Amino acid sequence: MTALIALVGAAFYLFFYFVYGKRLEKEVVKADPNRPTPAVKLRDNIDYVPAKPFVLYGHHFASIAGAGPITGPAIAMAWGWLPGLLWVWLGNLFIGSVHDYLALMASVRYDGKSIQWVSGKLMSARTKYTFEIFIYFTLLLIIAAFMGVFTGLATTNASIGTASVLFIIVALIEGVLLYRTKLSFTVSSIIGVILLVLSIYIGYAFPFIKITNAHTWYIVLAIYSVFASSLPVWILLQPRDYLNAYILWAGLILGLVAAIFAFKGFNWPTFTIFSAVTVGGKPSPFWPTVPLVIACGALSGFHSLVATGTTSKQLDNELSGLFIGYGSMFTEGFLATLVITSIAAFGMQVFQGAAGKLTDLKIDLNLLMTDKTYLANKYAAASNSVGGAVGIFTKSFGKMSTSVGLPENIGTTFAGLWVSAFVLTTLDTAVRLARYAWSEIWEPVKRVSEGFYKFIANLWVASIIADGLALLLIWWGSYNILWPGFAGANQLLAAIAMITAAIWVKRVQKAKPSWQMAVLIPALFLWITVTIGLIWYLFVVVPGIAVAFNKYMLGGFTVIMLILNFILVGDFISGWRKGPLPEAETK
Amino acid sequence: MKKLFDLLKKIFKGLDIGLREVSTSLIEKELEETENVFALLTMGAFAGIPSPPTGIILRILPYMQREIYVMIARSKNIDDTLAEIAGIFSIE
Amino acid sequence: MDIYFFLGKGGTGKTTISASFSVGLSHYNKDINFLIASLDPAHNLGDAFNIELSNKIKKLTENLSAIEVDLEKMIKEYLNDLSTNLKYTYKYLTSFNLDKYFDVLRYSPGIEENAVLESIKKFLKMNEFDALIFDTPPTGITTRVLALPKLTLIWTKRLMDIRRKILDRRKMIENVKGKTEAIIGDEVITLTADEKEDQIMIELANYSKEMEDLMKLFQSDLTKINIVTMPEDLALFETKRIIESLNKFNIKTNKIYLNKYLIFDNPPEVIKGKIIEQDRVIEKMREEIKNISIKDIPLLSQSPRGIEDLLKFYDNYILE
Repeated sequence: MTALIALVGAAFYLFFYFVYGKRLEKEVVKADPNRPTPAVKLRDNIDYVPAKPFVLYGHHFASIAGAGPITGPAIAMAWGWLPGLLWVWLGNLFIGSVHDYLALMASVRYDGKSIQWVSGKLMSARTKYTFEIFIYFTLLLIIAAFMGVFTGLATTNASIGTASVLFIIVALIEGVLLYRTKLSFTVSSIIGVILLVLSIYIGYAFPFIKITNAHTWYIVLAIYSVFASSLPVWILLQPRDYLNAYILWAGLILGLVAAIFAFKGFNWPTFTIFSAVTVGGKPSPFWPTVPLVIACGALSGFHSLVATGTTSKQLDNELSGLFIGYGSMFTEGFLATLVITSIAAFGMQVFQGAAGKLTDLKIDLNLLMTDKTYLANKYAAASNSVGGAVGIFTKSFGKMSTSVGLPENIGTTFAGLWVSAFVLTTLDTAVRLARYAWSEIWEPVKRVSEGFYKFIANLWVASIIADGLALLLIWWGSYNILWPGFAGANQLLAAIAMITAAIWVKRVQKAKPSWQMAVLIPALFLWITVTIGLIWYLFVVVPGIAVAFNKYMLGGFTVIMLILNFILVGDFISGWRKGPLPEAETK
Repeated sequence: MKKLFDLLKKIFKGLDIGLREVSTSLIEKELEETENVFALLTMGAFAGIPSPPTGIILRILPYMQREIYVMIARSKNIDDTLAEIAGIFSIE
Repeated sequence: MDIYFFLGKGGTGKTTISASFSVGLSHYNKDINFLIASLDPAHNLGDAFNIELSNKIKKLTENLSAIEVDLEKMIKEYLNDLSTNLKYTYKYLTSFNLDKYFDVLRYSPGIEENAVLESIKKFLKMNEFDALIFDTPPTGITTRVLALPKLTLIWTKRLMDIRRKILDRRKMIENVKGKTEAIIGDEVITLTADEKEDQIMIELANYSKEMEDLMKLFQSDLTKINIVTMPEDLALFETKRIIESLNKFNIKTNKIYLNKYLIFDNPPEVIKGKIIEQDRVIEKMREEIKNISIKDIPLLSQSPRGIEDLLKFYDNYILE
């Protein structure tokens, strides 16, 4: 079954790439190979420089892939393996990839301006400022949620914790090797990969970092991210980013090969119940909450920022856009597929292995394995015994990789490092971006009190505030509550981007009505889903949050999101009604 | 057989270039920002920020082609930097 | 080289005193070759000597020469040089409006101070002279000129730090990708990461060395700052300000010439008030300004004009 689903997944994406993707390219984007892209037209070798499609694909994919496509699907297993998989396949196909691709191409047509900028043009200018406030809070949620993800892993699996810390040291060394010594790039890279493998092995064989207190890890992570994000990039961020690329591709290839060779059937329910307990400990109706759980892998608003922030300025030719924008998202969907596959096949065995801890949590292992409803309701709680939903993934992956001869714990440690490496990188970059958004948000204050602005926008102050707020969010809660908040904000971003794309398709591209609908309907479906999902979150989940700070923070944030949401729809409706627009005026 | 070999060579060459790009893209961006800052600081008079004594400017201005070039290139996108930073820093 | 600066507000008699000083000192030190230069855009030096002076050095006596520096011309010249240089280098940066930038530069604060400093530098290099005497521009400019080397050093250090960061990053990228080639217009420029090859770093380092030498010179005993002032409240205030601001840059004031001092046996009614103010100011001055010798010079019915008069003036009032 593992082999089957893995191969079907690959085939699914390949098939629809050509059947649907190519049609999008022709009928909606109307990609013209003879039309110079901004990278060519505005080439300055600073921001605008055409990159080779394969290289850009690799870069873009690595930018959008992270711990997201792993965390979401792992949490969604509470509904059974099929619902999540269908969302990863169909949601990705009709919404996610369309979103990524159209955002990219619209940006290309607007001289590489970001989707934020384009939405300002096609809808309303206030969208731009609200984007920023939005993104700031979303970043806080990412930081908090990822702190939770990492801690879940590190407290239950010392190998992963050890390997992760060692990996930081490896990255530091790699930085020195690559940028400070006369060693050739190839040699330094090889050393880096060897050290990387070594850190996995040492983590596996000598897991000496045995910190089981979650709060200790939270503080360590907060301090780490404040410092890491203030270092010059060459010291840690850049070399780690580089080595992460190796981990990512190794994981994908290993996952695919292991899935095929494992040749194991699924012993996970295909479908449990409609309202499994996934979001914030509450029974969550699959629709509308699945986008609040599975973000990257199916649909993610942040992708439009990445695609239109840098990628669109490096596209060498309009025909490469499909491969890079659409193809990357498909690849991520495939990654999510592998995650689901591994848990579907080995998840139960993981639970069996944690029998003792489950009893401590008063969870009946037998019921878990045989009773669908029980699984649906207890999955989230049960997963805490093995480090959270992500923990289940790492252990499942470990078991699956024995099919290619890897010792189980090495596989687990590798999968854990995969997640933690990306998490640690995201913590670093999220704080950097949060600092930037923060100083932009406080800009207007500059005119009133320059002293205050200087203080509030100071590097350290901004970092500490961002981390402090994130810390408060995660301190008492688990990331099951925060993750949907982040995902919700992320999907709202996607809704904005998707709606902008729909308007672009209608007014500027003047596509055939059937194709307009192909973009509009998913956009509306997305919008409705996210709106109802957020309302549900606000009225069902938020009141149940025990900690007051979290309750008000998340509640307030959700209310703001909903208000912005309705403002958007107003802007959208007035935007949609207006007549056709000429091709991009980019001033 | 030779065609396969050539193809492999091409793939590895592409991979090499790609990997070198990945391992320096952030540093390059940091470099461009620093060059930008250097140009802005030196030519601050243009933008109403405190600038160095004229003597310094007169001495180094003839050599600042690259930095001024970067400054102008970067100034084109000054109103749209949030997404760019998100892209550079691979926020997923 | 010994350097003598004469600072003072307009109307205090600075030019007369500096001219007299040059005549006197050169007369009694025949083995030293003196140059007196007027850096004041409103030149009065020629008037004091009763000799027409120009932008060319004119020999007045065996060991005294004089010049009125044309700062305008200097500024125009080096801006023109720079402009031609830049137009050649920057021919591809069309969006960079060179002409507009030059307008900004031409009127930017500091361009005059820079010109004064450059001309001082030029004179310092003239080996035929052993001592320089400067009749300075209005006080504001002069104090800024004297402070300029130190200020420049602060800036060059900062710029060099940033430059080093740039070169450092370039080196890192070079390690991985080889030398960076920047394409500007049609030209391909190889960007260097080496401090010793980077033109900007070299210029900054050279300029900073020049400024450091100047700064040390101004702070040393070779430089003698003389302030010419009058026994009036505002003049005292100004004098103190000058001394303080120079102190901040570790430049010591050598002597104060209290000029146009009123001496009356039987002062008429109208003048009495002035004399009271004068005495008060002088007392205040001696109280508040310590460690600097103050020389009184009375108000003369006629200002000395011409070398002979100036020598007599020196003998009577300046010589100690």
